[in-house]
Amino acid sequence: MTGSNEFKLNQGPEDSISAVKFSPNTSQFLLVSSWDSSVRLYDVGGNSLRMKYQHTAPVLDCAYYDPTHSWSGGLDCQLKMHDLNTDQDTIVGTHDCPIRCVEYCPEVNVMVTGSWDMSVRLWDPRTPCNAGTFTQPDKVYTLSVAGDRLIVGTAGRRVLVWDLRNMGYVQQRRESSLKYQTRCIRAFPNKQGYVLSSIEGRVAVEYLDPSPEVQKKKYAFKCHRLKENSIEQVYPVNAISFHSIHNTFATGGSDGFVNIWDPFNKKRLCQFHRYPTSIASLAFSSDGSLLAIASSYMQEMGDISHPADAIFIRQVTDAETKPKST
Amino acid sequence: MTAYNVSPLISQLTPRSLGAGNRHASLSVITVCRLSANNGGGRALSQQQEGTTSAINQQKQAYELELRMYDGDDPLDVWDRYIKWIEQTYPQGGKDSGLNILLERAVMKFTEEKKYHNDSRYVDLWIKFTESCSDPLDVYRYMQAQGIGTMQASFYIAWSEEYEKRGNSRMADSVFQEGLKCGAEPLDRLQQFHKALQARVCRQMMTSALNQELDDELHDPQRASLAELKAKGKKKAVAPINRVAGTVGYARGLQFKQPLRPGQNSRLVIFDENKEHPEPQELKESWPAPPTARAKENEQKPDKWSNAKLPQKSRFGHSVIAPPPKPNFQPFVEESDQPPVVTPCKINPAVNTVLSARKPRREEQTPLKRLQELQQHMQLQQEDEDKSGEKSMYCKELLFSGVTELSFEELRAERFRQKCSQKPETACSEEEPHTSQND
Repeated sequence: MTGSNEFKLNQGPEDSISAVKFSPNTSQFLLVSSWDSSVRLYDVGGNSLRMKYQHTAPVLDCAYYDPTHSWSGGLDCQLKMHDLNTDQDTIVGTHDCPIRCVEYCPEVNVMVTGSWDMSVRLWDPRTPCNAGTFTQPDKVYTLSVAGDRLIVGTAGRRVLVWDLRNMGYVQQRRESSLKYQTRCIRAFPNKQGYVLSSIEGRVAVEYLDPSPEVQKKKYAFKCHRLKENSIEQVYPVNAISFHSIHNTFATGGSDGFVNIWDPFNKKRLCQFHRYPTSIASLAFSSDGSLLAIASSYMQEMGDISHPADAIFIRQVTDAETKPKST
Repeated sequence: MTAYNVSPLISQLTPRSLGAGNRHASLSVITVCRLSANNGGGRALSQQQEGTTSAINQQKQAYELELRMYDGDDPLDVWDRYIKWIEQTYPQGGKDSGLNILLERAVMKFTEEKKYHNDSRYVDLWIKFTESCSDPLDVYRYMQAQGIGTMQASFYIAWSEEYEKRGNSRMADSVFQEGLKCGAEPLDRLQQFHKALQARVCRQMMTSALNQELDDELHDPQRASLAELKAKGKKKAVAPINRVAGTVGYARGLQFKQPLRPGQNSRLVIFDENKEHPEPQELKESWPAPPTARAKENEQKPDKWSNAKLPQKSRFGHSVIAPPPKPNFQPFVEESDQPPVVTPCKINPAVNTVLSARKPRREEQTPLKRLQELQQHMQLQQEDEDKSGEKSMYCKELLFSGVTELSFEELRAERFRQKCSQKPETACSEEEPHTSQND
């Protein structure tokens, strides 16, 4: 299964993987948060575990602030900042309910967390301290940053677009264009839109510009479905990651497949082999040369036995990630 | 006052901001937040409101989780407690509370569970559910056909009241007869309500007897019945023999609408007023489809209301009412009436529709259809899957069974919490999060 262009990370987490994130300036380091209550830092080049720090409960997300600081949050409701050089912990603050997502916005220099307490909180990473709490209409399931804009996906299929420079009001209040629960939202690196995936094998490409001409361009398509005995099995699409240079994106589903899509020509560029179990998280490295694939069962079908969780690092080529220019 | 407030604020901010160097954007974020946190005198109060809201949300979430994770032999208990809690927490009702959806899900969930059919809690849920239905009578007939609540006095009482509300005291009485025949419990309560109904009808009849002249004018067709009652011919000896006290008025009340036919006065049975009404015997017919569900609120787009026509029902003698004219004043809405949760939104609603626009669904599911599917639960769902050829590869029922949806992670977090509480030696601090040092 692991060919010359792909390998499995050693010393993987002991429980399901919740998120994988590459360092902002190198493809050497990978941050991994897990349900085993820890966050790990891997040296991808050397295929080794560099360090690890603990939370008191499962960790649901992590993010880099800068190459030496990791932020993470999870079921313990605590937002932790960890200095990866000195191995020192700081509890920056808390939410009222578990923290579901952690992101960094370089344009505004602010950390963003989303929680099941129906709020998004901003954090000044330098002090570090809370820089505001913003109520959302429902539990936050996913969020993504596009330049200075924040796109929040909540329960009840709602999507909110905030301007991080002026959080006084919601810039756009939308309903998901997909019929079922929102699983993941990721913004285009070109900041013009975002991709939203749902629990029932579907992905939508959306644009931020509210003018009707631009909105006409939006579309959605089916994916991560397998035909078996003339019944189409529809899987949740759990993970999206953008290629920072080509603006193409990878999606990962509970079917264990990873697809790479060209949103401009509405084409699938490639599909990799089937991974042992659900794809829980995906991350392209900053230079777009590597793709980290977390194959980890998410208890979609309940707490049952499943193949071992693992992280695969795959080298991707331009042929796999670059839009065809015809 | 404002100026006085802002200056210490700036001095508060400055050391931190200056030390931060040239990241202006970030500074502006903090400034905006601090300002918004400090302006307005009533802020303390609204903070408190936010606190209550979050406590309510957490409690709601706990119930939602319990609904799905319950592993005992009385699943109705959780639904019952949840619904009672919602009624307490959202006395104003409305869409926010989700009560109607919850009631619908609750009653539909246990239609197959025979053991609950005459559980007073379950029957009470049904009765509450009928209140939000467009035609409660259909629901009661459906319940009877399914055998739900047929041994419960409260079922017959509620059903009868519904008839009475519509002025059909004959059917109201017949419902009680049915209940007595079935031996619904508690019997004394049933009898008590039955007597009360009879007394009310009697009183009504007395009043109408006094206004007989007026009635004669108003109810021309009924004139015949009165005439017949007065007639002394052999064939027309249909007036009840027992004319003591309440019975007189009662019987007369029944005959008010239509003359009794010979041969039908042996039982104190009520007649069919007109063909639209099913005979009491008819009620037992099997019901292939469940009744129509609640009348949904706020589903239609507001612009359609302007040229909408009121459905012209005259089934129960209601005259067709013209839509009320638009008031020429602005209704007063208290400021505090707005829920604090809503974040202000500046964008034009027209733009918003563009943003949320979806392709029209091929087939909008009517509530009736949805209920039908729910009802013939297992097999039908299987058939449905085969028909559409799609199968969801996740525990869909768990995610969507309550009022609010849950994600895999929330369910898993609950499993984790339960595991932790089983092993108290494990350190699980998520139940008592530390307070923020910076607030």
